[in-house]
Amino acid sequence: MNGNDKEIIALSKEMCNKVLSDIEKAKRPVLYATKCSLDNAKYNYKTGYLTPGPKKVATELNVSSVKKMSRAIFMLEILIRNLLNGAVNTKRELYYISKGEIKHNSALKALDFQDQPESDSTIDFICEILECYREDMNCYANDRGGQTYSQQLVVTETLPDGDKAVVDLSKLGTTPFQPKNRPQNLKLSARKKIDFCLIVESEGTANTLVANGFTKRHSCILMGAQGVPSNAVRGWCKLIEDELGTPMYFFGDLDAYTMQNIFRTLKAGSAASLIRNSDYSAPDVRFLGVLPEDIKKYDLNDYPVKENDAQEVRALKKAQDALANDPFFHDKRNKGLSQILKWLLQHKRRCEQQAYFTVDPRDPTMPEKIIVDKIKRGDYV
Amino acid sequence: MSGRITTSSTAEYFSKNLQQVGFSSQVKAVLTTLKEAVDNSLDACEEAGVLPEINVLIEKVGAGSLKNSDQIRVRVEDNGPGLEPDDIPKVYGEYLASSKFGRGRCSRGQQGIGISAATTWAQLTSAIGVRVVSKTERMRKAMSCTVEVDIKNNKGIIKDKDSIDWDRPHGVSVEFFIDGRIQLNGEAGLLNYLNGTALVNPHMTLRFKLPDLEEQLVERVSNAVPDIPRATEPHPHTMKLGEFIAHSHLFGRVRAGVWLKKGFSRVNDGTVKEIIKGGVKSSVLEKNVDALGEAEFKSIFMALQNIKLMAPSTKSVLWIGEEALSKSMKRLGSVDFFSVVSRRPTICDFKPVQVEVAVARLEDRAAEADSPVQVLRFANRVPLQFDKSACAIVQAITSVNWRTYGISQPRDALPLGPYIIAVSVVSPFIKFKNASKETVDASDELVEEIRRALIQAGQKLSKHIRREVKAGELEEKIKHIEQFCPILVSGLCRITGAPDSRKKRAEQGLIKLLGRDTKAAEKELKEAHEVLEEQNAGHQLALPLGAHAPAKEAGI
Repeated sequence: MNGNDKEIIALSKEMCNKVLSDIEKAKRPVLYATKCSLDNAKYNYKTGYLTPGPKKVATELNVSSVKKMSRAIFMLEILIRNLLNGAVNTKRELYYISKGEIKHNSALKALDFQDQPESDSTIDFICEILECYREDMNCYANDRGGQTYSQQLVVTETLPDGDKAVVDLSKLGTTPFQPKNRPQNLKLSARKKIDFCLIVESEGTANTLVANGFTKRHSCILMGAQGVPSNAVRGWCKLIEDELGTPMYFFGDLDAYTMQNIFRTLKAGSAASLIRNSDYSAPDVRFLGVLPEDIKKYDLNDYPVKENDAQEVRALKKAQDALANDPFFHDKRNKGLSQILKWLLQHKRRCEQQAYFTVDPRDPTMPEKIIVDKIKRGDYV
Repeated sequence: MSGRITTSSTAEYFSKNLQQVGFSSQVKAVLTTLKEAVDNSLDACEEAGVLPEINVLIEKVGAGSLKNSDQIRVRVEDNGPGLEPDDIPKVYGEYLASSKFGRGRCSRGQQGIGISAATTWAQLTSAIGVRVVSKTERMRKAMSCTVEVDIKNNKGIIKDKDSIDWDRPHGVSVEFFIDGRIQLNGEAGLLNYLNGTALVNPHMTLRFKLPDLEEQLVERVSNAVPDIPRATEPHPHTMKLGEFIAHSHLFGRVRAGVWLKKGFSRVNDGTVKEIIKGGVKSSVLEKNVDALGEAEFKSIFMALQNIKLMAPSTKSVLWIGEEALSKSMKRLGSVDFFSVVSRRPTICDFKPVQVEVAVARLEDRAAEADSPVQVLRFANRVPLQFDKSACAIVQAITSVNWRTYGISQPRDALPLGPYIIAVSVVSPFIKFKNASKETVDASDELVEEIRRALIQAGQKLSKHIRREVKAGELEEKIKHIEQFCPILVSGLCRITGAPDSRKKRAEQGLIKLLGRDTKAAEKELKEAHEVLEEQNAGHQLALPLGAHAPAKEAGI
């Protein structure tokens, strides 16, 4: 058990003790949780990510909240047990563990979760009260996205038993390195100076670039984000940025969803994870493209947003809301990014990252050439 | 070259267009036949001041002549005054022979079409007219005969006339053999019709035997024969010029000024003076009406239209009343609670109208939770069972926001759940959309009047629902406390490693804490209950079925 685990357990016990003594005095205990929503998000360019404002959500114990509190204490007990044992679980597993506890103790039947979202929100509630990450409670999501290739990067992982494992990415061939949800256990070093780190939205395109020799020709780190970046990807990018100081570039589609959901989350975190954005965002990452001006410059194939597609319409509406309410896009120094959002809303067109393959269909390295050229010329936002 | 122009009789027209008067399908044919016969019986009983006792028999007797049809026997017997032998062929065999046409009274039948149409349907499908047995009080023996329609001449023909012994002082029995199909359940079902008729006729005793069902008896719950209001004279503003001129023919040789005062409501000496001021020569009003020319009629009519007259009287409207309607609701049997509203008669579209509404919740709630409510529509105390969507009543129901009263409702649709919404519209001049009287025309004023009645009924009902919700909440709260208190305290003690003494103190503290919430909930429930009690004291509200039911209450 590391120091962080001990701290979390102590914090949990303190909170439970406070609740218990209030109840003993027939005084209503109140639990305060950080409000994780955009209206409580602050952004400062120097800090670089969204931070929580002063708003708290107070849960007072009464007839309506007794079930929620009982469930939180029940789940907290399971999580503390995991910390003590060093066991880790996914949210889904915790859902089944709680079901199992109830199955073997009929007195707990009233707590039973009907489906996973109920147990998930209980875990989130605990994290918001204790102001910690889910990962701090040994609850990990599946390690999705972030497959990384490099001929220079060396990763040293400290295992739970204290042993160290060293992974030299240049020895993995075309097999990627899969970053973990808890990047705090990793240390990075470079065999030689790494010029840049490229995060590609589409994992498929990242694989193509590697297969065509991108990492052989350039001293770089290349990563596939696989859509909206998971905690693993976000924490991994943060680690690269902090430990290696490598310039980071994001290459993805030109559309409202990519800009507002994928890129903003990677660079500054999200409103839902205000508590953990400090460790799960890479503020220095730049938007390499596809930029609106690239369409003309490279004669890329773009197309209009389907206005009868509910998902695309929702993305445009969210982009509109972001321009109006998101402190990240309000910041003057992110004007270039908000201009792209405005352009997207105004023109209602989108252009995919794979459109670079239209520039010279017979040259498989053309996208690579454009990307490297853009980085050299500083053609990014 | 043009063809030879011929004329045809009214009977010929209707025999070719029976779908216009309710015979558009085999199911409807059975229902319409029953409906017309029952309407006639009820009207006759009420005219004679007799408490109606109606016996209905419907049964399959074999295969029908039409494809996929059965031959059905429809027999309706009443204890009304009976028909004089001379009247029998007119009533059952002649179109537009009516004692009620245009009289401005709230009778069920109006034009004298329906029952003759039923005879025609029987004649067309079974080649037999209607079998009638009638006995008036002064007749020693009952007259039995078959009536058929002479379609070419619109006349009733009597066949197989006989004198028979009949074990009742007076009454009429009619028996039709028609092709059709029997539908018992559903909105267009026979049961829906009979139950609906019982609901709005609390003074009726109904005995019926339908196929596959035991004979049922619905006892009367009111011993008061409805006092049919006297007909009022027509209001000039509700007429067109042609009607105005035709109306004069009923008065023969009488001076125009006198005709106007006697023949119309809301016309008096002052009005006559205003007509003269309006440009009609006084000599015209001195003339006899049978001597007036078309131009003179027109000048009087136009002058009348420009004069501001009092609205028509509402005295001619017949109503069931909250008390009688409440008692009648009990006959539906399985309702939890209901509310009843009788609006005061009012004027809609210049015609007197009275709207009454009953909203009831069924005891069997689970079965109908997601289905639309059952709507019972009545016009002049006759159930309307077809063409629901265009009806003023349905439009009014969908226009009300039932969610306010605790009843779920999709947008712009009928509310959902195990409820019955019964709406009765009574007027001497109901505007139907078609001759088969299936839909009330949805004028804005009428829809608004029905809507107001529904809102009142919804408000009354919501108090029951709210009380129930509060009771449910209290139960839930107590259950919560019992379930979660020990779990929460044990969990906290396990995490903190607290000793048993702390555990006990915490358990007591928690019960105290949550007990305060329960007391607050109990107080709210008590208050909700008191509101209900106050309402009941004012004879406005219904209590749940099975609870005490004071005699004067307007509901169960």
